[in-house]
Amino acid sequence: MTFKERVVPTIRVGDCLLVPIQIDLDDKTVEQLQAQLLAEIQEQRVRAIILDVRMVEVIDSYISYTLSETAAMARLMGCRAVICGIRPPVALTLAQMGIELQGFLVARDLEHALNLVYSP
Amino acid sequence: MDNSRLEMLVEELGASEQEGKLWRKLLPGAVSGATGNNLRETLREPLLGLLQELGETALGAKLKLVIERVPTFPTAELLPLVLELCGELRHDSEQAVRELKHMLSELATPIIRIWTDVLLVPLIGSLDSDRAQVMSERLLERASATRAKVVVVDVTGVPMIDTLVGGFFIEMFSAVKLLGAEVILTGIKPEIAHTLVKLGVDFRMVAIARDLEDALRRAIAMVEEERRQQRQITWGRGSNFSGEGGEHNDL
Amino acid sequence: MARKVRELLDIPADEFDVVVRIVREEDIAVARQMAKQLAQGLGFSLADVTKVATAVSELARNIYRYAQTGKIMIRKRLEENGGPTIQVVAVDHGPGIEDVDLVLTKGYTTYERSLGIGLSGIRRLVDSFEIVSEVGTGTAVVVEKRRRKF
Repeated sequence: MTFKERVVPTIRVGDCLLVPIQIDLDDKTVEQLQAQLLAEIQEQRVRAIILDVRMVEVIDSYISYTLSETAAMARLMGCRAVICGIRPPVALTLAQMGIELQGFLVARDLEHALNLVYSP
Repeated sequence: MDNSRLEMLVEELGASEQEGKLWRKLLPGAVSGATGNNLRETLREPLLGLLQELGETALGAKLKLVIERVPTFPTAELLPLVLELCGELRHDSEQAVRELKHMLSELATPIIRIWTDVLLVPLIGSLDSDRAQVMSERLLERASATRAKVVVVDVTGVPMIDTLVGGFFIEMFSAVKLLGAEVILTGIKPEIAHTLVKLGVDFRMVAIARDLEDALRRAIAMVEEERRQQRQITWGRGSNFSGEGGEHNDL
Repeated sequence: MARKVRELLDIPADEFDVVVRIVREEDIAVARQMAKQLAQGLGFSLADVTKVATAVSELARNIYRYAQTGKIMIRKRLEENGGPTIQVVAVDHGPGIEDVDLVLTKGYTTYERSLGIGLSGIRRLVDSFEIVSEVGTGTAVVVEKRRRKF
């Protein structure tokens, strides 16, 4: 995967891939992110991806749907998907719309995320 | 109007000391012959004082007496001023009610850190849309800032849960879970359990405890369990942290 | 219904504080950003700012997906009793919707890559929601969110 194809820089921690999303997601970037993560899961043979969305201010139905899709695809490749750092206003908005972020384990922070990755 | 007539009138009005002072200010101003804005400015302050002192009804009765006794009293000029002042007072009291409501909503939903990483939210009183939203926002901010692991919601003080309120709870619980915290619900009375099932509201996404003691015990167990897992992982990773992605050894 | 659709489609844009033409995919993010700023300026709570931005994001995407082009128009209204309100009008001259009630059901979608939560989700985020549509003429959605008193 070339540098240019990456929309989000990732960090390998142990056998996890940490994905700190520092940009505002829109339809195109979230689709690119999906492609990037699937490629990286295969290349790096990680056991989990951890999405940190602390900086993301809006998650609407399409973004959450694409993220959930990515989680389901990761699962099919034997990889867990954890999402952490959802902002309170975003959590309230998602909950009010009835969106559940299926396929993700939800963590408070990175420490908790790692905990979920290694739990049975 | 000379002084003796003024004093007689004030006496006839049966005014108390404070009230008398206001009348002594109002009456000479009213019959001084001033008109328009000047008159309004002179009357404004004593009239407002009297309104606050006596209330609308008593002031009305006394003004009637004044109008009978003082033929030159500018009744027509006074009317719009009185209406305006009443409006102002009402606006003030509405403002006060709003502030009280705000205070009540803060008081009625304390968020207590009852144990390490455990928050307790004892809900009291009935919920409407605004109050539920304010409460959810405060709880979410607090849970996020303190990185709470478990949120215990005690609804003992909630008189009734209908579909609407049940919907608020479902939203609030889902939002808390999106922060990565667990929710334990407790304090559901028999009649509320009955309505909830009849309405088809199930709180399947949360753990439910039979009382606060049970809830706290389970919350602490959850926190301890997570700590135990954490220790295992740190140990396990210490022994096989090679970046190989090898299977984690259960200790 | 048809008259109402045309009426809303012809609302003059200069009656609004913000007008975003939705032509490209990137315009969705622009509309979202503008709505956010307006809500922030009116003193909405952080959660409500996010809800307004999310609702606008959904409305803009619907325009882009189903009608290709359209407009998102936003204005603030300073009502005396209810407090300041944000009104968003989303209009397009697209194909229109045959059965409005059906698309409001959660899970309904004609677009393959969508969650089908769009319109029903928007409705839950705002205080008032109105949709009018006519096949062949277009669709207009009007939503409002008021600032909470405390």
